[in-house]
This record gives sequence, C-alpha cells and structure tokens, in this order.
Amino acid sequence: MGVHVFDTMGTTVSLRFAGATAPASVLDGVEGAFRAFDERFSLYRTDSEISRVARGELPLTRTGAELREAYAEALDWSRSTDGAFTPHRPDGVIDLSGTVKAKAMEAAARVLDSSGEADWMLVAGGDILTRGTLDGLPWRAGVVDPDDRGTLLCAVELVGRRIALATSGTAERGEHIWRTGDPRAPQRYRQVTVLADDIVTADVLATALVAGGPERCPELLNRFDIEAITVDNAGNLTATPGLQSAWGLTPA
Amino acid sequence: MRARALALSILSSAAVLTVGWQLGTQGQTSTAPDAAAPTTADSVTSDPTATATSRGGSTPSAAATPAPAPTATNGSVSAAAAASDGASGTFTGTSVQTRFGAVQVQVTVANGSITDVTALQLTDKDQRSVSISNRAAPVLRQEVLAAQSANVQGVSGATYTSDAYLSSLQSALDQAGL
Repeated sequence: MGVHVFDTMGTTVSLRFAGATAPASVLDGVEGAFRAFDERFSLYRTDSEISRVARGELPLTRTGAELREAYAEALDWSRSTDGAFTPHRPDGVIDLSGTVKAKAMEAAARVLDSSGEADWMLVAGGDILTRGTLDGLPWRAGVVDPDDRGTLLCAVELVGRRIALATSGTAERGEHIWRTGDPRAPQRYRQVTVLADDIVTADVLATALVAGGPERCPELLNRFDIEAITVDNAGNLTATPGLQSAWGLTPA
Repeated sequence: MRARALALSILSSAAVLTVGWQLGTQGQTSTAPDAAAPTTADSVTSDPTATATSRGGSTPSAAATPAPAPTATNGSVSAAAAASDGASGTFTGTSVQTRFGAVQVQVTVANGSITDVTALQLTDKDQRSVSISNRAAPVLRQEVLAAQSANVQGVSGATYTSDAYLSSLQSALDQAGL
C-alpha cells in the first residue's frame, strides 16, 4: 500500500492506494485540485477571492463563475435542509468552508478516476472518500471518539455505493456550524458522522445534523439518503439501521 | 361540495402514501407537474376543479376552486380532478424528491369516483419496495476500539488542522503505512 500525505486548506490530506502510489504527475494533479479551491475559497487566505468579497472589495456580481456556482449550490443545500446548513456566518459574511473541502475532494477524485486509479482512500481533515477495495476487502474507516480522540467509537466499511464518510462536531474547528438555542444542552449533538453516496452530501448533512440537533434529525434522515451516527453532549449514541451494527456498536 | 368531498377523498387515499406528504420539500422537485386532462362527456370548463395541495407539512389542506385547469406547485403533491358526474381520467401529482428518489401519486377517476390510487416510482434503484422510515435508534459501544486493532485505514472526525493532524490517529496510521 502506498500513502501520500500533504498539507492544504489548513489541514492535512492522506491519500492511500491499495497498490503502489500513483505517479508524481497524478499526485500533482490531486494537490492542484485542492490548491485551486483553497486559492479561491479560503477565508484564511487574505488574497483569496472570497476574502475580497468578505471585505467588501469585490462585489459578488464580479466574482468568477466558480464562486457564484459554489455559492448557489450552498444556498440550495441551505434550502433543502430548511436552513440547518447555511453558507453565511452570523455576521452575514459568505463562508463556503462547509462545502468547498468536499468539492475539492470530488475534484481530486476526478483526477484519480481519469488517471485510471481504481483502488484508493482519500482522507481530508477527517472526511473520507474511497474507490474500489483494499485487496478485495472494503476500505474501513474509524469514527473518532469526541471524548478521547485517541480511540474510536466504531469502524465503518465503505462498500457499494456508500463511499463517503464525514464527521462534524464541536471538538475541533467547528466554526462553520452555527447553532440556535443552548449548544450545551445535554441532548444536543456534539458529533455527527454521516455515510452517503457522495462526499458533499455527507459533509453538508453532518453539519446540518449538528446544527439542527435532535429536533431536526428525524426529518433530515427521512429526506436524505444517508446513514448517521450521533453523539450527544451526555455521551449517548444513536445510529440509523445501516450503522447500528457497525464494528464496535450494538443496538441498545 | 361534491368537488370538495372528492378532493378530501383523494387526500385520504393519498395519505396512505405519506412519503409524498411528509417528505415533500421546497426546492427539491425535479419534474414538472404532469396532470392529464380528464376525458369526460360533459364540458370540462364548466366543472369545478378540486385541487388538493400539501406543502411538506403534516396537515394537508384541501380547497375547491373554480380554476379550469389542474394546478400543481413545486415541492408539493397535487391531485386534481373534474368532479362532475361521469368525469373520468388519470391524474398524476407533482414528482417529489425523497431519499428513495422521486415519488409521484397517480389517481384514477371513473364516473366521478376514485377507482385507484397508485404510487409511481416508490421503489429504490433495484426496484425493491422501500420502507419510508430512517430512524436513528440508541446504540451502545461494545468496547473501546484502538485504530490499529480495528484494522482501519482512515479516521473520520471533526475537521482537524494541520497542527492537530500531527497528534491524530490518522497521522499514526499514515506513519505506520497502514
């Protein structure tokens, strides 16, 4: 197995191949896909296009088509989750960090797919996207325990159409999650993991479920074709049918 | 009042197919309304048309209006029927996006009475019938898992920074080449 690790978008990306690591030209393409999204969408970079919008230097109408399309897509997610997911900070600034990492992962996947790479796992700051298998066995991902980040809550196999796994929470860098009500209430979710067919859906819904909490959870689970594991502030776990018997879990 | 009664009858039949009513959401409809014109011996334009609409809520409402054509709203299921004696036809509601794909309700009316209510596309991609509930139920941890003993190649967690990565389980897996 080959592993390639690089830093981008303020986080670290790990790319595993079941066989040998892809050629340097392919790895350059993967890194370039992330870099392109970072240069346009990072609020951490003062020179990014979105930072210029946030400072009021650049009107939205004069931004590139990529930014406007990404914003429109994020607004669609806001509508379809009834606002549980939002591309706006409380001060009104557009913040697309809730979708751009996943979109960069999709762009990287296109590079790998078009290069003929068939069996790989891409991990970007805790979000996971896979193709194929590891020597005929499903790729397997752990879900971190928010109370002890050195251990796992459970392990999930990425198999069939379920090839994307994302986790949102309040433990680290949760700044694109804005919640109403008291976020410390015991029944509120401190971490939600979503298994889906694509990484944008997984990432957005993990964020939406943390933001929306248990009140919005049943409706979001029925509306979207996803599986989920939730951890509330009191430490209680729930899981949808497809994950109730994930490795390490058992139905209560 | 016959139109209203018919609309309510359609509603109560369609309520069995709660998918469309409960999961209908704005902004998710992908298909334009496809309401077939009723074939009837009487003049259609003189008939009252019943339109039943629910907008993703739990309390469907019914309204009888004199509009000459069936209407459907994005993000809702609509059924419309001419209600005079002898009215017949097949009416198809708006396609509503659910987690199982698009769902439509089709109502067949013969001589002013509903003879059939059919859910179109209420199967998944493999053409199996689907259940409509995806509920998160309590689970327990069997044990505390260590990443290496759990035989995982990746770790999903809330987004970590490059600094946090250095002390993460993912970093340990990467360094071990696992």
